Amino acid sequence: MSVVKLKDNKPEPVAYSDAALRNNAVVVEYCRTSMAALSGSTAGVLGLTGLNGFAFYVFSVVVLWVMFMIKAGPNWHKYYVSRQSLLTSGFFGALFTYVLFWTFIYGMVHVY
Amino acid sequence: MASFHKIIVIVGFISLFHSAFSAAQHRSYLRITSQEFTTLPLDIVVQAVSSLFAVMWGVLNVAGNLREIRAAAELNNIKWETQRNLPSFYIFNHRGRALAYDYIPSAGKAELENLDS
Repeated sequence: MSVVKLKDNKPEPVAYSDAALRNNAVVVEYCRTSMAALSGSTAGVLGLTGLNGFAFYVFSVVVLWVMFMIKAGPNWHKYYVSRQSLLTSGFFGALFTYVLFWTFIYGMVHVY
Repeated sequence: MASFHKIIVIVGFISLFHSAFSAAQHRSYLRITSQEFTTLPLDIVVQAVSSLFAVMWGVLNVAGNLREIRAAAELNNIKWETQRNLPSFYIFNHRGRALAYDYIPSAGKAELENLDS
């Protein structure tokens, strides 16, 4: 009897569909890259310099995450494995895109 | 619905470009009047940030639909008729045809060979 109880305590393993996971990862990656480019352009337009720009990047990453949560609705478990990895995955990869657009648009608007 | 979000993306891009242009004009105005640059006017900041949010929201919806990641979710939608539908086992021609009242027995092999002559 105790053995049965032990087995009941374990969470039931969930089978994920590989194709759907990959599809969602592609969508998230697309949005992330676009967000990095757009927020970099905005930071350049606003003329942010130094740490302000990186704070703006963190701000826009959080905003994109909130938008994902709004889009998925209350039952986000159906679409994402974890919320934390959605927030942090690809953080530094997109940061380089951000810095690229930031410096470019800053130069276009404020220097020349 | 997707076209509506595409319009949001386009309008947001135009608005972002316009705010960039306004910022550049503000900088040139400051340069002409030889004032020191401190911050941009508030309306340019608000326009840039709000158009950023608009484009982000539009891109999020244009990018595509999310699919349910549970493996059972898509299998649940398959109906019994779909499961039973096996193209490899389709039968177009079988012996039961011979039981029909207007069945004409096909000619023998010898007659088929003489058809073209």
